[in-house]
Amino acid sequence: MSCHAVRPLLPARAEELTPSEALMRAEHVAGCARCATEAAAYSRLGQALAVMAHLEAEPAEGTLERILVAIGRRRTRVTDPRVLAAAGSAGALVATVVVARALRQRRHSRHALATPWSRRLRVPGLPLPTAALARAK
Amino acid sequence: MEVDRELVEAAQAGDRWALEELVRRTHRSVYTCALRLVGNPDDAADVTQDVYLRVVRKLGGFRHEASFATWLNRVTTNVAMSTLKRRTRRFTVEGAAVPADTRDPAPEPAERAEAVALARRLERLVAELPEGQRQVLVLRDVYGQSTEEVANAMGLTPGAVKVRLFRARERLKAELEAAEGGQVVALSGRRRATGRRS
Repeated sequence: MSCHAVRPLLPARAEELTPSEALMRAEHVAGCARCATEAAAYSRLGQALAVMAHLEAEPAEGTLERILVAIGRRRTRVTDPRVLAAAGSAGALVATVVVARALRQRRHSRHALATPWSRRLRVPGLPLPTAALARAK
Repeated sequence: MEVDRELVEAAQAGDRWALEELVRRTHRSVYTCALRLVGNPDDAADVTQDVYLRVVRKLGGFRHEASFATWLNRVTTNVAMSTLKRRTRRFTVEGAAVPADTRDPAPEPAERAEAVALARRLERLVAELPEGQRQVLVLRDVYGQSTEEVANAMGLTPGAVKVRLFRARERLKAELEAAEGGQVVALSGRRRATGRRS
């Protein structure tokens, strides 16, 4: 395997290579001082780049305050899906109860209309009106 | 950027103090990432604000499957990329994209001191890379996103990401060696002396 063929593999991180590419690179680097130096330089570069993630820049003065004001305006719209789900369930329950009561009331009023007034007004222990008695006979 | 899970959960539950504390603890990190991606401080500040507006909207959906830092980094990447698509770069002053006042979140162990010093030197070199190469390198090598994630964020194929990454690393190494006293020259000399192995 020539240096030329291995050169494109030198900057790659281990997980970016196929197993055969990784083996090829390792075997070549083990026997080639120049490519070993190159590989070491890329490795050092990779480590330093990863360290960059921990370095922080200071934003311009007022940036934090601007963000806090902006999110304060928007904050009322924070919506946790768990809260939304709970609110939805509660709403559905209320709606079910309201619909059920309305249906019951409607059924009750239909039943009331279908029943003669005399029976609706019947009180246990009181005689039925004469007209109702005549119809019954 | 270290963020307690409890703090995130409190912010998710609507605790105003927790949300503001979350912003206080993370805004420098978000700003730095934005600065590295968009390349100038004004746009980076705008991106940072937009990131937190999006965080407020989406925080309820965060399920702690990844760390909050990773999630926030993805949000920052998406907002920065959307911003770049909308805007052309307003200005590029040499050195303007470099985080000028980099600070470490915690004291570094002695063995990492060299890597930290090198990272500080790299900031300027990274900032001077061509935009496409810089973004790929920052997302992949600085923030550890996968090639596929970088490709999705940038609207590229994984192959195109790999090509840009290779060029960026090669260029950065060469510039770093040149800046550090001519190791490239030394290597060339050694190459002449030892010949190329084939």
